[in-house]
Amino acid sequence: MRKLFAFAAAAALLFGCSESENTYTTESFQTDDHGLFIANEGNYMAGNASLSYYDPGTQSVENEVFLRANGHLLGDTAQSMTLFDGKLWICSNNSGVIFAIDPTTFKEVGRITLPGPRYVYFMSSTKGYVTQLWDNRIAIINPSTYTITGYIETGMNAAEASTEQLVKWGDYLFVNCWSYQKSILKIDTRTDEVVGSLEVGIQPESVMIDKNGKLWTMTDGGGWEGNPIGYEAPAIVRIDPESFSVEQRFELKKGDFPTELQLNATGDTLYWLNGGVWRMSVHATELPAEALLSSGLSSSYSLTLNPKNEDIYVGDAIDYAQNGMIFRYSATGDLLDSFGVGICPGTFCWK
Amino acid sequence: MNRVLRLVVAASICLSLFPVRGQAQQEDSLWWNRSRSFVVPIGDVTVEGRRPMKEIGVQQTRLEEPVLRNHIASSMAEVLTFGSSIFVKQHGRATLSTVAFRGTSPSHTQVAWNGLKIQSPMLGTTDFSLIPSYLMDGATLLHGSSSVSETGGGLGGAILLKSAPSTESGFGLQYVQGIGSYSTYDEFLRLSYANDRWQVQTRLLHSLSENDFHYTNYKKSELIYDSNHQVVGSYHPTETNRNCDFRDLHLMQEVAHTLPNGDRLGLEAWYLDSRRGVPMLMVDYNDERDFLNEQRERTLRSVVSWQRLATRYKAEARAGYVYSWQAYDFSKDRGNGIFTELIRSRNRMHTLYGQGHGEFYAERWLFTATLSLHHHLVESRDERSLQGEIYDRGRTELSLAASARWSPTERLGLALILREELYDRELSPLIPALSADYLLSKRGRLTLKGSLSRNYRYPTLNDLYFEPGGNPELNPERGLSYDAGLSFHLQRQGRYSLSGSATWFDSYIDDWIIWQATPQGYWTPRNLKKVHAYGVELHGEWLWHFARDWQLQLVGNFAWTPSINESDPSGAYDQSVGKQLIYQPEYSASVGAEIAWRTWRLGYKGNYYSERYTTSSNSNSPLGVVAGYYVCEASLEKLIPLSWADFSAKLNARNLFDREYESVLARPMPGIHFEFFLGIRPKWGKKRE
Repeated sequence: MRKLFAFAAAAALLFGCSESENTYTTESFQTDDHGLFIANEGNYMAGNASLSYYDPGTQSVENEVFLRANGHLLGDTAQSMTLFDGKLWICSNNSGVIFAIDPTTFKEVGRITLPGPRYVYFMSSTKGYVTQLWDNRIAIINPSTYTITGYIETGMNAAEASTEQLVKWGDYLFVNCWSYQKSILKIDTRTDEVVGSLEVGIQPESVMIDKNGKLWTMTDGGGWEGNPIGYEAPAIVRIDPESFSVEQRFELKKGDFPTELQLNATGDTLYWLNGGVWRMSVHATELPAEALLSSGLSSSYSLTLNPKNEDIYVGDAIDYAQNGMIFRYSATGDLLDSFGVGICPGTFCWK
Repeated sequence: MNRVLRLVVAASICLSLFPVRGQAQQEDSLWWNRSRSFVVPIGDVTVEGRRPMKEIGVQQTRLEEPVLRNHIASSMAEVLTFGSSIFVKQHGRATLSTVAFRGTSPSHTQVAWNGLKIQSPMLGTTDFSLIPSYLMDGATLLHGSSSVSETGGGLGGAILLKSAPSTESGFGLQYVQGIGSYSTYDEFLRLSYANDRWQVQTRLLHSLSENDFHYTNYKKSELIYDSNHQVVGSYHPTETNRNCDFRDLHLMQEVAHTLPNGDRLGLEAWYLDSRRGVPMLMVDYNDERDFLNEQRERTLRSVVSWQRLATRYKAEARAGYVYSWQAYDFSKDRGNGIFTELIRSRNRMHTLYGQGHGEFYAERWLFTATLSLHHHLVESRDERSLQGEIYDRGRTELSLAASARWSPTERLGLALILREELYDRELSPLIPALSADYLLSKRGRLTLKGSLSRNYRYPTLNDLYFEPGGNPELNPERGLSYDAGLSFHLQRQGRYSLSGSATWFDSYIDDWIIWQATPQGYWTPRNLKKVHAYGVELHGEWLWHFARDWQLQLVGNFAWTPSINESDPSGAYDQSVGKQLIYQPEYSASVGAEIAWRTWRLGYKGNYYSERYTTSSNSNSPLGVVAGYYVCEASLEKLIPLSWADFSAKLNARNLFDREYESVLARPMPGIHFEFFLGIRPKWGKKRE
């Protein structure tokens, strides 16, 4: 009988003993001055967002660098990145945190926690603004102390509230309101109050200022018949920030779903995705007839331009469940390189 | 001799025609009925013990009373984890748990309770954490093709749950109370009455838990700042499982009545009222106090039945109704203590059910026919959003099955099942299943068996109608599967019982439905994948009376389950082809050991799942793999029979070796924790028995 119990105990111990495999080992990084950060959103509620870093000079990529440098995860749904004051700020939207990392070593140097951060814009080393999902306020932060110092009320209904990208024009900030919205807000940074709102079309998804000081946005048109906010042809819209009025609308085909409106470094050319990569001068009077790049971009998901040479980088989510790809093209559309990154490469930031 | 054999075969066939009586005999062994000991008698093997005709070629796992009634806090998710080799994916303790057979998805597992389908018509899946095993009197897992005899759509298999009133004569009462870690309180009350004509039983189960276990969060690091806001250190915090408290109430009412002509009438009703917090990810930095994030469910399932058993035939009719109200609420505190309501999702589902079933025995033949109807009405809304209605749809699902089973010789059994299904106006192609078994050796009941089937699974209502993204153009998923295996059963009266099986299976599923993102930003289902799932299932069980009043029971299950994506690549850079499906372990196993001595019982259970990939390309990076794990639990139980009542006491230790593990990435599971149960069963009028 004793033997039997001894055997049972030994078997139980044999099966039962093991060490935790949940810890992550850390590594040291030291990167060059010029490179590209890629925030891979991951899948919603899966906690598998990641950060990649690409060196265009050596054409080498390092993946999951946030995890490998810090020993913890980037979180759920990495939404945007902003380089400011020698730090890379990464909004991890569904984790409710903005990580600040050293862009050379990828080591975390601080963080701000607040629900649903989408984009951040810094006015100075002591003041910045954060747009949010699930909140009808824009948060004001102090990046030096990693604290929230106030809020700007937008007046939107909280359940449908959405503020996204921010761009500065003089003493004002323009903010596009995307999900279930149609407007761009004008905020006076001296009083931190909304001083204007301009309806531009269904779901404006971006804002930027070109070299002529004109404000640009792109509306996605709602995307599907039955969308309660409406369904219309998407458009690229030029706005005069002085009068805060629409100057020109470039309407795309109804049913198209353009995304990722970008300006080149000189502010004279717009790029966007719409089943391929499209390009248009800010002085154009009509939309281009053909895409700059169209073949092999079935799941194009994100877009950026190298500020040094205007190389075009397109993120491809493939099946949204595996590691994505980045395709690098010359400004004339020749494929120069491609490399694998993380799941759903959604946003870029140049160092 | 031949005449004797024919009589024996006929007797065995007739036995197989009387499952209700068989069930009654089985229930007699339940401790709450008559047994005063955990030591179960072992009978002798006879030729009558041959596999019943209804089980010709069937690959099944039966979960019997000791497994289902482990303790009152146990869910079917836990029972399946430790009692089978199928994969149970748990998002946490008492949190969404789905099961998948043979490398398929949870929506490929059909689930029925007393004949009534209980998987969600919206999602096609079942949350097994909401099914308490203690309320079930039997569970049968039909693997692969074997499910076709009961239902269509089970490309992976089917799980049949059964509950029925106790046959214990006179009044019966049982009350069990449990207290456990994380402020967990469970209560179970059973009231019953039975005589020759009537059996009435009421069961009530209430579970309440803060579910606030602590764990080391390796997904996060806490930063240590100096006075200049410079980071000077970091550590992995010890955190509390957040927003996972739950309260579940189950009320089950069962009535059975035997008419003077022997016909049986039955009523089973099961009401569930549940409120659960929606767990936060380990990478969530929000304060759970700033949010209200919870789901509630009120579901009534009811079935009435009529059954006639005769020498050569059996007839049965069932009717049922399900009403389910499901709510999901999400509100946020803006910092002033006032919550702003952001999501108010409400789903209301009605299901009408009807079934007619007949069996007829003629010499060496058994014929069956079943016609079943499920009509679903579903209204899904987000009452807080601009969109409001998600969809308001109904669907009729009609299924007709006919089978012929033939036992031309004592050793050989053949079965052909033909099924036809109608989903609204869409008629499925014929669903055929062919199975056979052959008794290779009477000694040890060594049996060779196999089956082959084609099967179809229709899209769910969400697949078809969800706004935005629902795709009415979807085709049903198509499955072709076969399996073959050996089973044996050695037994010596009063000494031991040894049984086992080994099965090879192979299945191909085309038009696998996958939800995929669109350029418009929403997700939509498409018939995208072609999957080849194959492998081996092993099962062994040994019951040994090694000394007087002593009993040892060992049970083991193992599965090797490659489940490979064989679709055409979606593009030149698609690396998912030829890879294991997401969250499908290649290896899974469970073990159980139990030593009983009179009124004492010491148990041990373990479960192993190999690593699971989180990406379709099977990336081996730290984020791409959830580590494999082995977890186990142990229990010690004592029955205390007194003259006026029987008492029971049980201590259960879960995650015995305090293993840190995750079933799903960034979803915490608890370390070692304990539960203690006390039960009483008065012996009203039975002291002299």
